[in-house]
Amino acid sequence: MTQPAHSAANQGRVRFGDIQRFLTLFAQGLSGSFFHLKVSSPTAAGGRSSRISTDGHSIYLPADIADFAAAEHNLGSYRIAVLHQIGYVVEGTFDFDLESFCARWHRPALLRRVFLIVEDLRIDTALRRRYPGARADLDRVLAHALAKRPSVSSMRPLSALIEGLVQYSLGGRRSELISSNEALADLMNAAEAVCAEEASIDDSARASLSICANLEEYLRRAPRRVSSAAGDKTDGPRDRDPAGDDEFLLEDASSLTVEFRGELHLGRSRTQQGRQIAIPGHETRAPLQETAPKDPRGGTPDPATPPASIATSVRRSSTTGPRSFLYDEWDYLRQTYLSAWCRVYEHRLRGDDFAFISDVRRRHCALGAEVRRQFAFIKPQSWQRVHRTIDGDELELDAVIEAVIDRRSTHAADSHLYLRRDRALRDVAAAFLVDMSASTDFPIASSKLRAPDNPAPDRAPPNSGLYLYGGHEDPTEAAPAPKRRVIDVSKDALALMCDALQTLGDSFAIYGFSGDGRDNVEFHVAKEFREKLSVRTWAALAAIQPRRSTRMGPAIRHALSKLAREPAGMKVLIIVSDGYPEDHDYGMDRNDREYGIQDTARALREAERAGVVDFCVTIDPAGNDYLRRMCSQSRYLVIDDVTALPRELTKVYRTLTS
Amino acid sequence: MNAPTQDTRQAASRLTEEPWYLPLGDEVQMFEAAYRARLPVLLKGPTGCGKTRFVEYMAWRLYRQSQSARRTIELPLMTVACHEDLTATDLVGRYLLSGNETVWMDGPLTRAVRSGAICYLDEVVEARKDTTVVIHSLTDHRRVLPIEKTGELLDAHPDFLLVISYNPGYQSVLKDLKPSTRQRFVSLEFGYPGVDVEAAIIGHESAVEAALAHRLALIGDKVRNLREHGFDEGVSTRLLVYAGQLAAGGISPRRACDVAIARAVTDDTEVQKAIAAIVDVLLP
Repeated sequence: MTQPAHSAANQGRVRFGDIQRFLTLFAQGLSGSFFHLKVSSPTAAGGRSSRISTDGHSIYLPADIADFAAAEHNLGSYRIAVLHQIGYVVEGTFDFDLESFCARWHRPALLRRVFLIVEDLRIDTALRRRYPGARADLDRVLAHALAKRPSVSSMRPLSALIEGLVQYSLGGRRSELISSNEALADLMNAAEAVCAEEASIDDSARASLSICANLEEYLRRAPRRVSSAAGDKTDGPRDRDPAGDDEFLLEDASSLTVEFRGELHLGRSRTQQGRQIAIPGHETRAPLQETAPKDPRGGTPDPATPPASIATSVRRSSTTGPRSFLYDEWDYLRQTYLSAWCRVYEHRLRGDDFAFISDVRRRHCALGAEVRRQFAFIKPQSWQRVHRTIDGDELELDAVIEAVIDRRSTHAADSHLYLRRDRALRDVAAAFLVDMSASTDFPIASSKLRAPDNPAPDRAPPNSGLYLYGGHEDPTEAAPAPKRRVIDVSKDALALMCDALQTLGDSFAIYGFSGDGRDNVEFHVAKEFREKLSVRTWAALAAIQPRRSTRMGPAIRHALSKLAREPAGMKVLIIVSDGYPEDHDYGMDRNDREYGIQDTARALREAERAGVVDFCVTIDPAGNDYLRRMCSQSRYLVIDDVTALPRELTKVYRTLTS
Repeated sequence: MNAPTQDTRQAASRLTEEPWYLPLGDEVQMFEAAYRARLPVLLKGPTGCGKTRFVEYMAWRLYRQSQSARRTIELPLMTVACHEDLTATDLVGRYLLSGNETVWMDGPLTRAVRSGAICYLDEVVEARKDTTVVIHSLTDHRRVLPIEKTGELLDAHPDFLLVISYNPGYQSVLKDLKPSTRQRFVSLEFGYPGVDVEAAIIGHESAVEAALAHRLALIGDKVRNLREHGFDEGVSTRLLVYAGQLAAGGISPRRACDVAIARAVTDDTEVQKAIAAIVDVLLP
């Protein structure tokens, strides 16, 4: 849609990056489904000319639109483009297996082309009906698209008819189109069926079959007359047998995409659960039957199938997938936020290691008991008596006596007469954010697994070969203990924390993060705030595994957005990592560590401003070098001995929340 | 707050006129059956979906339409909007200083238990935990209210019924109902109605024309698709009625939706813009 813009258009230019979230919400609200709205790349639409497309899950839109001088009109173009794309989903286009449908006829390319035109007409008509407030935008966009269409006068007969149909679908005047080619009248009449209020995808299929049959019949009867009517002076290839026209159709000027409608990517049925759509209203003509040997299953047509029906299988559209969220990123070089720079995909962790927690409890039973004891100290156990309140459970005798004395001595009596009992409730929401970068796969040195401050379990089973990070080797056990990695220790520490937090009653969540580039930051959810601990939670925790990079900033921002929704009075974010933030595109230069550090520092400052108490625990011995630039000294802890993590994490939590 | 009547934000209704209520399912029959068996009722549903109106309507049906002695009860419905400082004392009653003596003042629950009214504890999870203990003995076969401070054990009037409401999606879901409380009630679940029914409600309550009422209901349906973006409850029927009332009062429908919907449900400007755009395309 973007033209080499003149100054007026530039003034009104609307950039996708500025309205991406707005459009995403707009699409989600109207469709009820979440779509990833992305900037189209030259190859996003399969390398074709259109920059707008959808596959039913994502919608690709141009980076900017400057078709009109007014910004609101260009914004309207974006809205219409989105409405048209979600229209494919809302109106059931994605329930249709177009490939199978087209394969049932001997000219699939022609049928496909006609179907898409007719379907676009149906979508736009439905759009006009559903969204009356968008009609002005739609009319403007249609007029703009119509003005850009090529003239039919120099086209080949079949292409001219198809182009006429496209222009009709864009609101071209019927009388003008018929004057250019009388044959268009029948085609438009057939297409008009999809403008009815109750028209469905089946009607589009019927109409396109009818149009194709008309086209074929018309060209077969009088190809030369059509050429003449269309002003086509040349003979030969242009009037060749239409049966061989499929290839040129794809490259003809009439195939120029209507940009705001974009390209629709309807593949073969993605699921096997198809339904049969019968199209009883369409009477298949003899030539169709004779020249329609193609069966998508490779067999011959079933003679029992009524000739008046064409069966297609369809799929149910599914828009389920990981949700994504856009976050700004701080570019310290330019001292500005990069708007909607990082896309965070939220994944739900699911695991099948249901023995994980019992294993952790067994290996760490002494430490687990110690953690619980520590937490027991900070758990409020009693009621708090609040004296002389204006309202309360019972009258306070001293206050009442004083009030009576005051009243008898004609002084104003104090109305704070009641005694109230309040429970000193903890009101804490804590989010644990665990680094799942590939480096956490690093095995822990065996010497550390025998750390002296990690005693053997009190009641360890006599033959339990493993306790405390699996470092204890049972002499009776021949098999070596499995290597413990940094991530394993992190998981153990979190499991012990969660186990103890149950008794404390604090609300808490466990997240992991990793990623691969700014467009794919992974945010893994093991436990949300409102979920109760269950075997699934423990299994999800066990499923935390090393993955890719450490893009910390967007993960922190996403955790903050979750904390923001918690009503707790105190909010805590504890980040457990094993190194500095890094990603292959975290900054212009991959070797520039400063970029990631600065962005993370910025995210932590955002946490502070949001009233969230943040704390970084790192097991990177070099952590002091960069953590002191990321946060204040009281807000981080560097642990030299990775095996001390569970104990230190507990201390940190106690200190922060007591 | 010096007096229990203010403290508990009590609202008692004489119900002299029939409250307008459009049934969504069999909730009227279910409530009547529960009342006949004197089973306590728990109403679950999002804010503004009509729970309170339903209770008012049922109180009117059961008390004002009844041919029994219930008809003479002056206040058939005692509504208490629960909040986080509401205690058992606020419900049951307390001693107050009056002149040189202390006098006992019944709370709304005690008054309902004595008179045989319906006591409706709205958003009961908001109240402090000790309130739920008070209602336990009223919600099983005993149907008694122990008043600790007076040493009285009050038998509930035969017509008394306890109704509580609870909003599972509300942000204070951390204060969940205990199973021991929850399992004392039959539970009626409410949701936002479908577009046609909601349009009828909006049309009736705001007196806007049917076409606009239908569009407002459609807007509500679409905006609820965004509920995960900071307003978990979605937009309530109540707000849609407000928008209708503003429009009926001469405000342009788009502006009415802006103040009654977009700005009412969220402070996120991007979400507000998206809602405004949804409103814009859906309204003629």
